[in-house]
Amino acid sequence: METADLSHHISRRFNEDLERVRSKVLAMGGFVEQQLQQAINALVEGDSALGEAVAIEDFKVNSMEVSIDEECSRILATRAPAAGDLRVIVAIIKTITDLERIGDEAEKIGYIASRLATMERPADKYREIKHIGRVVSQMVHGALDAFARMDADAALDVARQDRRVDEEYESIQRQTITFMLEDPRSIRRFLDMMWVVRSLERIGDHAKNIGEYVIYMVYGKDVRHTSLDDVEREFRGRQAPGGRTA
Amino acid sequence: MVLAIQAISYAVARVLGAAALGLLIGWPFGWPFAGMSLVLAAYLTWQLVNLSRMAWWVRHRGFADPPDIGGAWGSVLTQIVRLHRRKRFHKRRFVQLLRQIQRSTAALPDGVVILDAAFEIVWFNRMAGELLRLRRTADLGLRVDNLVRQPEFGRYLAAGQYASPVIIRHATSEAVYLALQVVPYGEGQQMLLVRDVSHQMLLEAMRKDFVANASHELRSPLTVISGYLETLSLDPAFESEMQGPIAEMRRQAERMTAIIADLLELSRLESTDVPATGEPIDVGALLGALRRDVLAHESRPREVRARIDSEAPLIGSESEIHSAFFNLLENAAKYTPPEGRIEMRWWVDARGGHFAVEDTGIGIQSEHIPRLTERFYRVDPGRSRASGGSGLGLAIVKHVLQRHDATLEVQSVPGEGSTFSCHFPPSRIGKTLAARTASAMIRAAGTDAAADA
Repeated sequence: METADLSHHISRRFNEDLERVRSKVLAMGGFVEQQLQQAINALVEGDSALGEAVAIEDFKVNSMEVSIDEECSRILATRAPAAGDLRVIVAIIKTITDLERIGDEAEKIGYIASRLATMERPADKYREIKHIGRVVSQMVHGALDAFARMDADAALDVARQDRRVDEEYESIQRQTITFMLEDPRSIRRFLDMMWVVRSLERIGDHAKNIGEYVIYMVYGKDVRHTSLDDVEREFRGRQAPGGRTA
Repeated sequence: MVLAIQAISYAVARVLGAAALGLLIGWPFGWPFAGMSLVLAAYLTWQLVNLSRMAWWVRHRGFADPPDIGGAWGSVLTQIVRLHRRKRFHKRRFVQLLRQIQRSTAALPDGVVILDAAFEIVWFNRMAGELLRLRRTADLGLRVDNLVRQPEFGRYLAAGQYASPVIIRHATSEAVYLALQVVPYGEGQQMLLVRDVSHQMLLEAMRKDFVANASHELRSPLTVISGYLETLSLDPAFESEMQGPIAEMRRQAERMTAIIADLLELSRLESTDVPATGEPIDVGALLGALRRDVLAHESRPREVRARIDSEAPLIGSESEIHSAFFNLLENAAKYTPPEGRIEMRWWVDARGGHFAVEDTGIGIQSEHIPRLTERFYRVDPGRSRASGGSGLGLAIVKHVLQRHDATLEVQSVPGEGSTFSCHFPPSRIGKTLAARTASAMIRAAGTDAAADA
């Protein structure tokens, strides 16, 4: 496991600015994690008020994104960072976009949860959704931890988990179609559940993206469209380049 | 000064001695001064050799096996060896002490994280690492709230109020709850205490569920009893001497119903964590309605006044605020004699909005005041049970105020009266109608001016 040290800067003030923005990103991440958890709970427990609350609170995620974006623009304009520091700023700008999208998906889940709460609960009590929800929550948590620690190996682990999520998504899809054919009256309900699972799958993708930005931050390599195996072969356990002053 | 004289005399003696020896040796051969130079040169060489031996020893031997050197160099060497031995001894003792401390903190059942003034992690014990999923060396120097990202924790750190802990849900384990508390100490240093309170939270949840369920279950039987009692009391066939007991039974049944209603209200307030959002409440109208309610309700009317010093509305839940204020008013009415006076006041200042109920009643002794909001707490059991009430009124007030980010203040002088005040933060106070109209007018004037220009 390799972490990158952000503390070597010519300008100490720039270091503080950078750390402050990173902390704001992680605070935004923490709030998004909570939104996701509460949205899934609202669905699984049939808590309509909680689902609505999640949907209402999403505006906070959007305003955090705007605020951090402004801060990054200011840093780019006043400090003109280069090399590793520039990578960090770029990665931050991309990360907050993905976090905001995760927030949007959580909002959708919350909204559907408040609707489904009034309907009849399925026999398995949303066990499948709970499971895939747990995996996805762990992915988001892992991606943000990797961001906090600048840990590329942990980011690779998150990317690995996304494959599992995609597989589960496909299997749930097949299952749901079977249910819908068996009982056409419940199609409305199953369609809603499919939207939820699709949102969860998208959240997994966003978490994987954040992992890719961490790898970019640490190694300076854009791995967004490289296959996972190639990335692992090249980067697993590698030493990060040290000393990134301009 | 003495040292210098000693040193000089030592050196002079040695040099003169060597010179004299050299003269003596050289004399028989007819070269006295050559002999003197030779001996002096030999003496100098000997000193330099000792010096370089010592230098080499210090550099390469690591303070073990000092060479045997005489004279001044020898005593310097001895001192160096002695100093070094003392240093090693102290270092060993220090390491032992550190290990003891580490062993004891590792054995602590709670987690401890040492933070600096910027909340960066300086050190943490094993339990903290387990509870918060921190990594041994990698996480040192990182801000603790970058890894513990629950929003409530971030707010707790920002607020700086560390009198009580904050309880958060574990990020990945659903059923785990952690209590985190910051303890400042030293200069700018802080300790973060982490405790697993999942068990307590589970017990709390079970207790709340029990209270809610039990209250619900008690409601229906009580309704039946009250119904029949009412029928019996209206039945003319019943002998008049039964009417007394029946009336008493009805009163007691009413009291039980009131207690159950309050218990249900309290458990409802406890179970919803989200603070009351809400609409703007016209406090003036509310106080007027409360005043009419109280005057109509109580059998012994007393003077009740309402003073509204501000038109600003209160942002919150109208039903909950009504309930809280009514409880305060009812208490004032219960403990004030008929010739007494009750005054309600609502005013707004820089610190926020304030509602106070002041009475000239029997007052409360100071030792009872901290416990007033406990459930079923009675200052004077005999008296208050006779006057009715559920004993839960102030507990309800406390919960409503908590949900509105407000605080309760009690001042009382036994025999003279009491004042109960609710303090709401500025975030809960809306703009008055006048202020809203004024700002609307300013906005309109702005657009007009822009249109004219």
